This record gives sequence, C-alpha cells and structure tokens, in this order.
Amino acid sequence: MEKVIETQDLTKAYGKGNTEVRAVDGVSLVIERGEFTAIVGPSGSGKTTLLQLIGGLDKATSGKVLLAGTAISDMSGRALSDFRRDHIGFIFQAYNLIPVLTAQENAEYVMLLQKRDKKERRARVQSILEKVGLQGLEHRRPAQLSGGQHQRVAVARALASGPDIILADEPTANLDSTTGADLVDMMKTFNEESHMTFVFSTHDPKIMSRAKRLITLEDGKIISDVRQN
Amino acid sequence: MLLLKLAIRNILRQRRRSFLTTLSMALGYFMAAFTFSVVEGSYGNIIDIFTRDHTGHVQIHAGDYLDRPSLYKQIRDVESVVGKVQTVPGVLAATPRIFAPSLAYAGDKTSIASVVGIDPKREALTTTLSQKDRIGDYLTGAMSPDGYDIVMIGSALAETLKLKIGDELVLIGQGVDGSIANDIFIVGSIVGDKDSSERIKVFLSMDAAQRYLSMGNTAHEIAIVTDSPDEAEELAASIEAEIADATLSVEPWQVVEEIFYNTMTADKQSNKISTLIIMAIVAIGVLNAVLMSSLERAREYGLLRAIGTQPRQVFAMIVVETMMLGIIGCIAGFVLGLPLLLQLTETGIPMPTPVDVGGMAFDAILAEVSLTTLGLPVILVMVTSFLVSLWPGFRSARITPTQALQAV
Ligand SMILES: Nc1ncnc2c1ncn2[C@@H]1O[C@H](COP(=O)(O)OP(=O)(O)O)[C@@H](O)[C@H]1O
Ligand SMILES: [Mg+2]
Repeated sequence: MEKVIETQDLTKAYGKGNTEVRAVDGVSLVIERGEFTAIVGPSGSGKTTLLQLIGGLDKATSGKVLLAGTAISDMSGRALSDFRRDHIGFIFQAYNLIPVLTAQENAEYVMLLQKRDKKERRARVQSILEKVGLQGLEHRRPAQLSGGQHQRVAVARALASGPDIILADEPTANLDSTTGADLVDMMKTFNEESHMTFVFSTHDPKIMSRAKRLITLEDGKIISDVRQN
Repeated sequence: MLLLKLAIRNILRQRRRSFLTTLSMALGYFMAAFTFSVVEGSYGNIIDIFTRDHTGHVQIHAGDYLDRPSLYKQIRDVESVVGKVQTVPGVLAATPRIFAPSLAYAGDKTSIASVVGIDPKREALTTTLSQKDRIGDYLTGAMSPDGYDIVMIGSALAETLKLKIGDELVLIGQGVDGSIANDIFIVGSIVGDKDSSERIKVFLSMDAAQRYLSMGNTAHEIAIVTDSPDEAEELAASIEAEIADATLSVEPWQVVEEIFYNTMTADKQSNKISTLIIMAIVAIGVLNAVLMSSLERAREYGLLRAIGTQPRQVFAMIVVETMMLGIIGCIAGFVLGLPLLLQLTETGIPMPTPVDVGGMAFDAILAEVSLTTLGLPVILVMVTSFLVSLWPGFRSARITPTQALQAV
C-alpha cells in the first residue's frame, strides 16, 4: 500500500504560556491511498485544524506533514499554493463556490489554474458533473442551486483537478441529514470506483457510519482509530 | 481570459456600486478634459490677443535694445532687413517701428508722450492697431493741406491735452544726430481707451518719424507675426539665420514679454494642481468603493487562495476589475462630455464681465479640443484607477485561506 498522507508528531498551538491551547497535539497518523476516512470528535476537538494542517492551509507549530511523499510542512508561498492546486481537492462546509461563475465554470476553475487544455477541461468536467448528478444544471450560478447541489459542484471541482487526496471539513454540516448522507454516499462511490482518497470530518453519527476508517479526536489528540465496514 | 471574465461578471454583480464608481470616474474624466480644453483654448486666445495687440510673435532689435532701450540703438537699412525677414517661411507679416520719448504741447497744456513711428499698411497686417476703437481715420502717412504730418494719438493724451480731431500738436524731443527734434503735427485720429496700451502714444508714419528724429533709413524694432505661433522660438532661430547680422538680436514673444509669459506658465501650473485635486477626490471615492467590495469578498479570495490561486492572481483580479471600471468611465465621460466640449469650442464660456486686453474686449473663453485635451484625461483616470486598486489588491492578496474561511 502507498502512504498518501503521513503526519509526524503534528502540533498546532495557539497562545503562549498559561493560555496556550493545543488545537492539534502530537498527532501521528498514516493514511493509505484509497482510504475513506472520517475524522470525528466533539466541537473544538481539533478536526478543522488538523485538516488545515494536512491541506497546507495552515502552518504547524511543530511536527511534519508528508503528502504523497512531499514534506509540505517545509514548503511555503508560491510552491505551497501550487502544491495545493495540483495535489489536494478541498470541500468546505459552506461558501465553496465563486458566486459569479456557473456550476461548470466553478468545477473547471482549478483545471484552468493548471492551464489544462480547454477541450480536456470541458470533457472531463462534463462527465464529472453528470456523475455527481448535475446534468442540466451546468450553466446555473450558485445562487440558483440548492445547498446539496453546491456541495456536489465542490466535489466535482475537487475531482476534476485530479488530486492525490480530497479533504472535506464538515461537508454535510449545512445540509439536512438525507442530503448529507447522499453526498457522502456519492463520495464513497467515487472512492470505490476510482480509488480516490477522501478524508472528511463530521460529528453526525449517520455520516460516520459510512466511513471505512474512523479517527476520533479529543483535545487535539487521537483517542481511537478504527477500521469498519 | 478568466481574469477578464471574473472582472466583467463582478462589475455586473454589483451594478449599483459599479455604476456609481464608473460615474465618478466619468466625471473625473470629463472635469479633466474640460479643464484641459478650456485652459488650452483660453491660453491660445489670450496669447493670440496679446501678441496681436502689438508685440507680434518675434521681434528684432539692435543689440541689447530690448533690455536697455536707447534712441541710438538703431536697425540700419531697415527696409532690407524687413525684406529678408519676409522671405523666411512661416512669416505672415513684418513691420518696422521707431520709438522716442517726447514732450507734447497743445495750447497751454503739456504732457509727456511716446512717439511711435509705424508703417501704417504693414502695421495693419501685423497687429490689431487698425481695428481698435478709434475716432477719425487710421493713419495713412498723408499730410494736411498746410503740409503738416497727420498723427494718431492715444486717448489719455488727447484728454490731458484737450485735443480734438484737426487740432495742432507740437512735439519736442531729441534727434538721433543730437539736434533738437521739433515739429508741428495735426491730430487725425484718437485711438483706444484710457486703459489700452496706446494711452500716451503718438503714432507717426515711418517717414514722418524718420524726418522728425533725423534717423534716415533706420528703425528700433521689427515686429513679425507667423501663422504658427506655437513655433515662435523656432521661427526666431530661422530669421536670425536668414538675416545673418550679429549686431541684431531676434527674440520670440516669450522673451520679449517675459513677465506675461511667466504669468501664463504659472497659471498653467495652478491649473495642473486643480486637476490633480479633482483626480484626488475621484480617487478617494473610487478607493472607498474598491476597498468595500474587496472586504466584502474576503471570503471569496480566501477560497480562491485555498484551492491554489496565487496571491498575484488575486491582486490582478482587483486591479483588472478597477481598471476596467476606469475604461468604462473614460468611454462614458468621453461620449457624454464631447458634445458639450465641442459646443464650447464654438460658443465658448461667457465671462461674467468682458475682460479688456489691450483695447480688445474679450467676452468668452473658447475651448480647444485636441488629442491632448481628450487623451491626457484617459491617462489620468487610468493611472488613478491603477493606483487606487493597489492597496485593496495588496490587502486581498495577503488574505490567508484560514482567516477567510474561519468565520462561518
Ligand atoms: N485561530 C485560532 N486562535 C485561537 N484558537 C483557535 C484558533 N483556531 C482554533 N482554535 C482553537 O483550537 C481548538 C480546535 O478548534 P477546531 O480545529 O476548529 O475544532 P473543531 O473543528 O473540531 O471544532 C479549539 O479550542 C479552538 O478554540
Ligand atoms: Mg471545525
């Protein structure tokens, strides 16, 4: 198996001295290519912070993050930005889309940054949009799409750029439970069909039950790490 | 392409704000174009009126006559010099002049007077002297039936000496040969008002002046006008080369009327400053709008950064969007403002009270529209747009994804 994510004693601390808060506290974990992992834990347990460290959106106080063999904790500026573009797909809880671009243009955005050929872009995005169930809605703007459709466009954008991993921080938190479950089922289908590695956070038991691996955080530490079916 | 698409859509997204921003840029464009056109037109006008009053565009004197005038600093063989001047391309007309201070008597009244010898015909081609308000006929060089030379005098002198048309006037001065110049003249006309440059002048024909002052075929000044006043300095150089006489100095009006020229230049300077102030006001308004919209979109920029957009690309988005508003503003300002500016080139801006420049009433400022007066404001507006977008662009480019995405 191939390690796609590895963290080594990863720590993120806010504040100093007595008021220091360790949002992530000495986390070491390995995620293999093709895993479908949920990070769970109560609010404030450090889920968002951990995903941001893995995704190169934030700098660790200490420790290392290796993504597909690259130590991104040592990277900065342009290089890190380009690394995110080419290797990581992001899905956020809300505000995922650029309001002035259509569903299709949003899904194409990262491919555009990658300077991919227009024909390739169109074809790839079109087929992904169909797979996420948005055929016929390609030319709608975000304001004309539902919350569930927003998240599907975000998934499409993440898939389109061909990343090594897709990180999703509470992607279902703003959706009703059926829509949320559908979204995660869809992500799972992509995981099973194309071996795409997904790491997502949630505190919804219904969503957790769909993960193949469950990492539980408490006060920034991993307190359990189990594989399930 | 993506940048342009995003810029256009973002402009359309906040129609109201874009409209107001564009409007203020259009206004900025128009104000600048208006100022430049009016300034260009009025300076053209004033310079034209001023130089055509008596100075001309280029003057020739003997030696340093201009700085230290003296009866004895004469241009020798003046007719042949005038002849050479007239062969220089660009010269419309050239006319010789003689100047001499004198005392004037009429009845029991006395006054000082400036005697000016002119060639009536060539003077009329060179300056506006023959068109000025006047009682009686313009100087012809003719004599009265009694054999006295007929003169044209300034109205202030006429008033002091209580002179009417047909009255006798005695002038006493010094001749070039050291003799006393002393003659009787007949008033043929009275010119100008008490504020015009002719106040205490006595105009004689060249011939009469040369006889009165025993000057022979000499003069003190040659005034020249050209059809391209903007190139007076170049013309002065060509004339100097043509007459090739080291004892004569040839100067453009900028040197001859140095004080007037400096005043004009200073005035242009102050107009530049007021244009800058207009642009600064526009800039503050636009900066405010751009800053507001970039703050509102902070989360969007954070998202763009998270998914791999470089800071310079975010920066470029804001700059391109603002500059595009600038372009639209210029087009709007041009389309809406041009008819008015063109109208002003025809009718001008009426002055509250007519200004008298050397006896000529000056009651409207005509605008002058040119590539400069319409093009320079485009550069000003675009530079302003660019400068104004720098700070919001820089700020937005520095937004970190975590900052922007945190507050959900
Ligand atoms: N920018 C920050 N400054 C200070 N403390 C922070 C900051 N971001 C997160 N924290 C703290 O870190 C801890 C973990 O937060 P977070 O990663 O958002 O948890 P979760 O996503 O699991 O709710 C919390 O106690 C939170 O208050
Ligand atoms: Mg969170």
